[in-house]
Amino acid sequence: MIHMHNSLAIRIRRAASAISCLALVALTGLAHALPAADPLKVVCTLPDLADITREIGGDRVDVTTIYKGKENTHALMGKPSHLVAMSRADVFVQVGLSLESSVVPGLLENCRNNRIQPGKTGFVNVSEGWSALAVPTVLSRKDGDVHPQGNPHMNLAPSAGQHMASVIHAHLVLVEPGSKLVFDQRYAALVKKLDDASARWALVAKDWKGRKIVVYHKEFDYFADAYGLVIQGSIETKPGIPPTPNHLASLIDTMKREPGAVILTAPWSNNDNVEQVARETGAKIVELPNMCGGTSGAETWIGMMDTIHKRVAEALPTAPAAR
Amino acid sequence: MSTFIVQRALALAAFSPAVLAQGPVFQTPGMTSVPSNYSVPGSSNDSGQANRFSNVFNPAFSFVVDSLVDSIHNSGASEDGERIELRSLEFAAQSWVDPSAWAYFVAVADEENVAIEEAAVHYTGLGGNHTLRAGRFFIDFGKQMQTHVHELRTIRRPLALRTFLGDEVKGDGLQWDSWTSVSDETAVRWSIGAFSNLLPESVKDIDPETQAAQSIADRKHAEDFNFTARLTAFTDVGQNGVLQLGTSARVLPRFAYTFEPSGDAAEDLDNTVFGLDATYGWSDDSGLKSWTFGGEYVLDTGDTYSTIGDAGTPGDPTDDSVDVISDELNGFYIFADYAWDKSNSVGLQYSQVESPEAGTPDVSETEAYYTHLFSEFHRLRVAASGQNREDGEDSTRFAIQYTVFVGAHGHGVNW
Repeated sequence: MIHMHNSLAIRIRRAASAISCLALVALTGLAHALPAADPLKVVCTLPDLADITREIGGDRVDVTTIYKGKENTHALMGKPSHLVAMSRADVFVQVGLSLESSVVPGLLENCRNNRIQPGKTGFVNVSEGWSALAVPTVLSRKDGDVHPQGNPHMNLAPSAGQHMASVIHAHLVLVEPGSKLVFDQRYAALVKKLDDASARWALVAKDWKGRKIVVYHKEFDYFADAYGLVIQGSIETKPGIPPTPNHLASLIDTMKREPGAVILTAPWSNNDNVEQVARETGAKIVELPNMCGGTSGAETWIGMMDTIHKRVAEALPTAPAAR
Repeated sequence: MSTFIVQRALALAAFSPAVLAQGPVFQTPGMTSVPSNYSVPGSSNDSGQANRFSNVFNPAFSFVVDSLVDSIHNSGASEDGERIELRSLEFAAQSWVDPSAWAYFVAVADEENVAIEEAAVHYTGLGGNHTLRAGRFFIDFGKQMQTHVHELRTIRRPLALRTFLGDEVKGDGLQWDSWTSVSDETAVRWSIGAFSNLLPESVKDIDPETQAAQSIADRKHAEDFNFTARLTAFTDVGQNGVLQLGTSARVLPRFAYTFEPSGDAAEDLDNTVFGLDATYGWSDDSGLKSWTFGGEYVLDTGDTYSTIGDAGTPGDPTDDSVDVISDELNGFYIFADYAWDKSNSVGLQYSQVESPEAGTPDVSETEAYYTHLFSEFHRLRVAASGQNREDGEDSTRFAIQYTVFVGAHGHGVNW
């Protein structure tokens, strides 16, 4: 009797196991048949941030970009599509440091999307944790269009890629922990690419220390700081303040007395004043992208930095100018 | 690997209390977000309690100085001459009240008066994209009536708006507005408002020449409040353009017109002004060079105009009567504005209004201007305008406007 009961129990267990296996197979098949959850809707201000977000997020992110690539980052006005995209976003990524203050505060206020408001996991400020240059000790409009948190053009620092990627990666994991494995793997691959690129750029720039540059706007301070380039002056009188004839005359005089500088300008600022300074001093003009999309070859952040290093290397004199 | 660890550490550091890092909407440049004299909790001079003398929650302040030098030459009997004036000094403050409401006020002083032009609360706690606004504020009509005069592209508000609505129209009331998206590139916004009184200041007071005044009763039934409504859609046009279309209305269901010397009054008058506006803006890839074209058609309906009839003894105002004209009058303005860089722009605006009385001339006004921005907060404008009447009573005005903006500054969405 007992033997019979044991035999029945074994048969029941086998049947249960078979049913479980079938159920597992069915569920697995169902899981493959079901579409994946919708990708995260991400709005990025700069194309630089969009590129890095796509690199980390892969097909788990659907990225919209506010800037196109050739704008003065401080002067963009919001468009209806920006507002609509912000209202639907799961994640919003910005540089911060008041770089995008002409457009972001208004969009954030009016989009009414609580998921991406400051303090929420969907709000990504990539300059957090970044040591900004030129943080003013005294805030005054006498110094032009000053940014209270420091120079905001951190996206042009050669080391910024790793920093921006780390902040974006950490937030994506927080917003969608179910995709952590995918994000981790893609992030690690990106970090490897960035490290390789950094080594490449360091090699290109190994002799740049002490070379002189003149800028139109203080966009390339981080770039110059990374390699010891000396900023001889800026064509703008103060940040955001157009040059005056007196200022240009003074700058031209300085550049003539201490020759050898190249003029770095961005697509938006490559204007008559730049040409005048170049004409009167003989200095080369180097137009550099100030964000991804600013020029051909700058579609990705690494591609943009490759382009910047290549153009600066081609423009700088082969030997340090006499000082 | 070490780089990876460093980046992870930085990423974790990034989750310290988040900051907007764009400068908040209400920020007074020149002031740190936490004043340097803010006593550190636990320090010897700190009670550990915020009190009536704590200034850390002070609002963001700003002021605007708008000055004008002009020269007017008339072909008729009106007064000519030059003038230098402080057109207005505007003082404003704004701050969040709690997580769902922010408040602001704008006080304006000119050579004669100090007035609270706006003082209102925006409540955003209704959910969705709804906003409730309460207090005193400019009406939501077209693209220009919400704007203070010194912020306009031109020296004065367009003739059609001045004539049918007034230089500035503010009211004490409530407004509910909301917006929704209808596609990836298009947003639609609407607003409705109810106000106690929407007569412009320029016609509420007694006119010194005619001794006539318009008035709206202080207390009234709800249906007799003054109302506004606006519906507008704006959409991307290609990569570089934005088109906005809108329609607006201001409704005065009941008001009176009184002639002081005789005491004669026309009551139970009503008036509605409709507007249709269109604006197209285009900017190049840098965002610095731009074209803006726009215009608005304005239709004034109902009891549109009042005159004083010299009834009884000729020349004796004490027996004169008020005559009200009910008609449909229309007007419009169009403009084109071109900015060739961040600092310089030129523009041309033309406006025309229909005269209320048969046999009297229509009026048109043309203004050409050049605006130079020394910086975002410092502006010089040179303008020439001509007003032409069909009866030849023309006038010409040359003006230099010099305006500075000090303090809190922000960019909202331009609806």
